Amino acid sequence: MNPLISITLLMTLILSTMIVMISSHWLFAWIGLEMNMMAIIPIMMKKPSPRATEASTKYFLTQATASTLLMLAVILNLMHSGQWTIMKLFDPTASALMTMALAIKLGLSPFHFWVPEVTQGIPLTTGLILLTWQKIAPISILYQISPSINLHLMITMSFLSILIGGWGGLNQTQLRKIMAYSSIAHMGWMTSILLYNSTLTLLNLLIYIIMTFTMFMLLIQNTTTTTLLLSQTWNTTPVMTTFTMLTLLSMGGLPPLTGFMPKWMIIQELTKNDTLILPTLMAVTALLNLYFYMRLAYSTALTLFPSTNNMKMKWQFHPTKQMTLLPTAIVLSTMLLPLTPTYYILL
Amino acid sequence: MDLFTSSTLLTLLMLITPIMASSTNLYKNSNYQHYVKNMTLSAFIISLIPMTMFIHTNQEMLISNWHWITIHTFKLTLSFKMDYFSLMFMPVALFITWSIMEFSMWYMHSDPNINQFFKYLLIFLITMLILVTANNLFQLLVGWEGVGIMSFLLIGWWFGRTDANTAALQAILYNRIGDIGFLLSMAWFLSNTNSWDLQQIFVLSQNPSNLPLMGLTLAAAGKSAQFGLHPWLPSAMEGPTPVSALLHSSTMVVAGVFLLIRFSPLMENNKPIQTMMLSLGALTTLFTAICALTQNDIKKIIAFSTSSQLGLMMVTVGLNQPHLAFLHICTHAFFKAMLFLCSGSIIHNLNNEQDIRKMGGLYKILPFTTTALITGCLALTGVPFLTGFYSKDPIIEAATSSYTNAWALLLTLIATSLTAVYSTRIIFYTLLEQPRFSPLMNINETNPALINPIKRLLVGSIFAGFILSNNMPPMTTPLMTMPLHLKLTALMVTTLGFIIALEINTYSKNLKYPHLSNFTNFSTLLGYFPTIMHRLPPHLILTMGQKLATSLLDLTWTEIILPKTMTSIQLKASLLTSNQKGLIKLYFLSFLITMTLVMLLFNYPE
Repeated sequence: MNPLISITLLMTLILSTMIVMISSHWLFAWIGLEMNMMAIIPIMMKKPSPRATEASTKYFLTQATASTLLMLAVILNLMHSGQWTIMKLFDPTASALMTMALAIKLGLSPFHFWVPEVTQGIPLTTGLILLTWQKIAPISILYQISPSINLHLMITMSFLSILIGGWGGLNQTQLRKIMAYSSIAHMGWMTSILLYNSTLTLLNLLIYIIMTFTMFMLLIQNTTTTTLLLSQTWNTTPVMTTFTMLTLLSMGGLPPLTGFMPKWMIIQELTKNDTLILPTLMAVTALLNLYFYMRLAYSTALTLFPSTNNMKMKWQFHPTKQMTLLPTAIVLSTMLLPLTPTYYILL
Repeated sequence: MDLFTSSTLLTLLMLITPIMASSTNLYKNSNYQHYVKNMTLSAFIISLIPMTMFIHTNQEMLISNWHWITIHTFKLTLSFKMDYFSLMFMPVALFITWSIMEFSMWYMHSDPNINQFFKYLLIFLITMLILVTANNLFQLLVGWEGVGIMSFLLIGWWFGRTDANTAALQAILYNRIGDIGFLLSMAWFLSNTNSWDLQQIFVLSQNPSNLPLMGLTLAAAGKSAQFGLHPWLPSAMEGPTPVSALLHSSTMVVAGVFLLIRFSPLMENNKPIQTMMLSLGALTTLFTAICALTQNDIKKIIAFSTSSQLGLMMVTVGLNQPHLAFLHICTHAFFKAMLFLCSGSIIHNLNNEQDIRKMGGLYKILPFTTTALITGCLALTGVPFLTGFYSKDPIIEAATSSYTNAWALLLTLIATSLTAVYSTRIIFYTLLEQPRFSPLMNINETNPALINPIKRLLVGSIFAGFILSNNMPPMTTPLMTMPLHLKLTALMVTTLGFIIALEINTYSKNLKYPHLSNFTNFSTLLGYFPTIMHRLPPHLILTMGQKLATSLLDLTWTEIILPKTMTSIQLKASLLTSNQKGLIKLYFLSFLITMTLVMLLFNYPE
């Protein structure tokens, strides 16, 4: 793509999220969300193919619906409260509608159906942007309206997301779809703690972004999109197999890696609020996620898959792609656990 | 201590002396048998003293000797209860044992272990007396188990024969099933009346619940071979004839009925238990009488006859007449022991032939045995004014004139007539007609060790009924008047049985049935009971045990329930969530409709 166009699109993307985050007028926030959607559609179509077209169409349809619903909720709020400030909503119907609109935007269950299909149809880098940057704007709105969100709706959607994220990923070999289901599950964890202690939502988002960024960077390095391709990384860069395994385990939430931190905090907050069944079930279903991460780690790092003799020579050559921030990201996504007390920064 | 106490204890202690003498040299030579026999004789004579004193003064006695153990409020002592039942039974048991010991000096003459045999018989006698004189349930259990163990050792006397070993084990197993009931009632009595003493139990639980009484009935059914737990008694005929005479006709098998008689004050007011005992006894008596009709082993016929009489005793207890049952125990002991001794004489004289189809014509050859056998059979069937009449006839009279179960009564009457039938069968096949055994038999009955016991028991079979019933103090009101046809019931059915049996037996000389009918099969195979019950329940229970251990425990609980179920659930769920059809329009449409409806319904609920 023409570099001028791609810079414009990227700038618009960044600007739109900024607009959503700093606005205090509902209309402005809506504008930001629309710009976000408009900017990313061409990015998705960088390499035109029927698959990409289908993905971007699906993305457009769902996100447009979500924005419309958001507008409806804003109008209802205006009707009941007479003002446009971004704060808690004053009508339960408006609150429910806005929650559902943001759920569609994030890909929470039961509106999760678009996430795997869209993620599968786009190149890896765009998928990275989709699963990390695009989550910031809706979460920021959710953070601001959190006092008025209906508890039952939120908890139902988040627990269902965790389940769907776990069960859906079991049947996959395409890595992008696996990352999509993992994103659904993590969104579930994030929104479950929103009404009890919203700071932890932001913490979870931060850690999730770091880990997903690391994972995608590792995948982009060798353009591996299937498990089969991933199992050949020991031929090209053997050291990356270790890092892949560590990142995957961190995403699964194993101590003493970073991914354990948000899960631990969330379970602690939930138990402090006397809900015991929910964190138990959430922790148990997180095992499903861990299972398919382990399957990937098994075929990548724990076993050396057979390959042709030509493949075995690839490590002798220097990598041609740029490893953007990969070492930093790997360190951040595996060794951040001792810094847990610093999450008070987010308060 | 006065004469009553000292003579009782002396009787019991005298019998222990030969046991202790078995560790000396006396055990090695042949005088030991005479020693034991004479000790039993002396014990018998001394035991007549307390019996006479009791008849004279009607004073019961309780000897409580040695304080054994106290657990919290529960006290266990060694105590002997000398009342009506135990004082009357002791001389009878000692008399019969004395006669049998003299007989076994002839019968077991060529056995190298004859001294051990006598020791076993003596230990059996001691445990039986412990059982009879026990005042608390623990001592009774000691006696109960003791007679069971001695029965095992004596039935399996010729242990080289597998049938004997099987029969001994069978006796133990069936008795054990009865012991479950015994222990159940012991536990109930302990927890509800805090004592195992009979006096305390009778005072504290006037109307006990059905549970301990069912337990006692089960114990009696096990020990006294009632229906359901009866197969061990015919199998026990594998033991030597003196053993059959002592244990399985007179003494051990009556222990069960004796237990029920001891506890009869608890069952006076409990109609359901009495009805149950009545039905059980009636079923037993008829079933075993039917089985006795087609047996070919002389000892088995007499064994089934014993079983039938035990059923009759159970019927009597079920009619709430424990004293009549006790009288029948005492009189039955005489003629049944004599029948066994006669059969022992016949068997030994015919060179160990036990099949009645190969006997015959012994009428002129063994005159004394013939006399005894015929008298015994007549006494068994209750011919007037012999021994059996004085106990059997009052039982039938009590049954016909009491407000009782007509079906049980009918069964009892049929069994009474069948008693006459199989008695006639024994007499006909062994004594009458032409001889069917090999001509080279060495038959004589001149040995006094054979003749004297049979002579004594013969006198007993004729006169004991008269003597006992006239000297026993009456404990219940006897029934004085009844219609003539009820009075003559027993006599009439017995006569009917005799006539029919004689007719049919004479037929067997001229007619022959071409093939066996189903009824004959039923009777010969003992009602198919052992065939079914000795194979099927153990097989079912053992397969169930195996299936429980492997299929249920190993396979299901530890493998299928959690791991495999979890696996299948996860597989199905993952397939469900990741297979989607892309029906976008449908999804959006359903979303729209849902939203509209929800908003309308929640905002305008009317």
